[in-house]
Amino acid sequence: MPSPWHEFCDRATVKDNVHIPDGFLATPVWAALDLAAAPSVAYMARRAQREFDESRVPLLGVLGAFVFAAQMINFPVGPGTTGHLVGGALLSFTLGPAAAAAVMTAILAIQALVFQDGGILALGANAVNMAVLGVLAGYLPFALWGGGRFRKLAIFGGAALSVLVSALAALSELLVSGVKMPFPVLGLSVALFLISAALEGAITLAIMQALARIQPGTARVDHKLARSGWSRMLATVSLATLVLASVGVLLASAAPDGLERLGEQTGITSRMRTLIHTPLTNYRAAFLHSDNLSKAAAGLAGVALVYCACLALGRIAARNRSL
Amino acid sequence: MHHVVLDRWSRGSTAVHRLDPRAKIVSLLLLLIALATAKHSVPLLAFELALLLAAGFCWARVPVVGALARAALVLPFAATFAGIAWLAGDPARGLSLAVKSYVSALAVLFVVSTTPLPTLLRGLEAMGAPRFLLEVAQFLYRYLFLISEEAQLMRAAAAARNASLEAWRGNRERFRAAGGALAVLFVRSYERAAMIHRAMLARSFEGRIPTLSINRFTTRDIVFVVLSSAIPWALRFVTAAS
Repeated sequence: MPSPWHEFCDRATVKDNVHIPDGFLATPVWAALDLAAAPSVAYMARRAQREFDESRVPLLGVLGAFVFAAQMINFPVGPGTTGHLVGGALLSFTLGPAAAAAVMTAILAIQALVFQDGGILALGANAVNMAVLGVLAGYLPFALWGGGRFRKLAIFGGAALSVLVSALAALSELLVSGVKMPFPVLGLSVALFLISAALEGAITLAIMQALARIQPGTARVDHKLARSGWSRMLATVSLATLVLASVGVLLASAAPDGLERLGEQTGITSRMRTLIHTPLTNYRAAFLHSDNLSKAAAGLAGVALVYCACLALGRIAARNRSL
Repeated sequence: MHHVVLDRWSRGSTAVHRLDPRAKIVSLLLLLIALATAKHSVPLLAFELALLLAAGFCWARVPVVGALARAALVLPFAATFAGIAWLAGDPARGLSLAVKSYVSALAVLFVVSTTPLPTLLRGLEAMGAPRFLLEVAQFLYRYLFLISEEAQLMRAAAAARNASLEAWRGNRERFRAAGGALAVLFVRSYERAAMIHRAMLARSFEGRIPTLSINRFTTRDIVFVVLSSAIPWALRFVTAAS
């Protein structure tokens, strides 16, 4: 029988993944992210299907089940606190980014349906955060430096970045949706995210080191990417964008509305003029007179625009198969 | 384990269980959108929808109290944010967040507890979701509990060798040991997948799980979709107007 202390240790787990439930995100946010997730996840699934050939579906499913089960093995963090694996980065190191994104999406869907962890309308948001951004942020450092001298650092950094990027994306979606968080809470959550990120890095590194010993060759280093200069540059630029965006979110959460306050202090706001008048200013369709109708129309038009942009980007990405 | 409960509920034979999965998915989405886009009198609307769903659970002969308790799984997350909003001086918004997420989870639970997961995934496929992704999800669900049991066994084995978390010293070694345990679990899962694949090939698997086609959309399904989406939207407008 486990002792009460043991039980407590099992409960005091660092929660490292934020699955947004339904009801938290504003309509334009969840709608836009659902529409953005649909083509990106479909593209990743198609790519995974090509790479793995369809008959190996069991492998992806069983490794998805592994990620679930891995949450039962606790890692000691400090007195009375434990953490567990999130797994997006580990999957991308061993299966490649496309298959990892497909498996993560399947995990999110099962979690939302069977375990009431994460919403259905918010599934797009969660998929963008964890299956697309999280997996890419985890994979890029590994793809760039995973085969060389900095292998350990690349694994640690990739896994840490993966958790940090997904958590910060979720946090910014909640803030954009108007969920109020006072400064101390915001600071505390960012500090927790940083701890979880470091923990995920350490756990993934421990597993990858053990895997290299018991089953060498499990990690999939993309040699094509390492050789091709153009792909390498694209990967570096994407990684830099993700890191800069994360730093931006961290700074923005430290000083909300900093830009507006700066504008007020320097007096720029009073002299500010809008150079181009767009038809959807302030999330309202200017040509409709009813307030509710104009907001709804602006929302729908915004969603349609986002969808078209995603579709176009998806097409371009599908044509350029070098990455 | 708790998953068995949901599986048992979903294998009932009431009229709700026999409905086409597509009808239930469409109704679910419409109800969720009605609740998510509501701005006025959200707690009252959520209460009315919860009553509607409770009636649905009774109709499907699913234990209402059990379902209400299970949907509360969403509450720790929701309550945290609701509490924060409360402290930030916006209790109405906090309450609205908590009830919206709870009733949404209850609605999802209604569909999942009246439709076996393979049928639900087949419904999603018929509605255009990528088949590859759904097959991965189906395999994931099928092997989830098997591999979780394996992880439990490894945990018990580690505890039997005194690998408890009670000792505060030797964190580094225990961390490495847990990493090793997960690496072993990963390799075992990988090999199990290869064995499953070979067994399936021997049974003439060609890359696609053959399924019986789902039933045709009947008048009963149409009536269900119309009623189950009209009532929440009507409630939403009436509640907002009053």
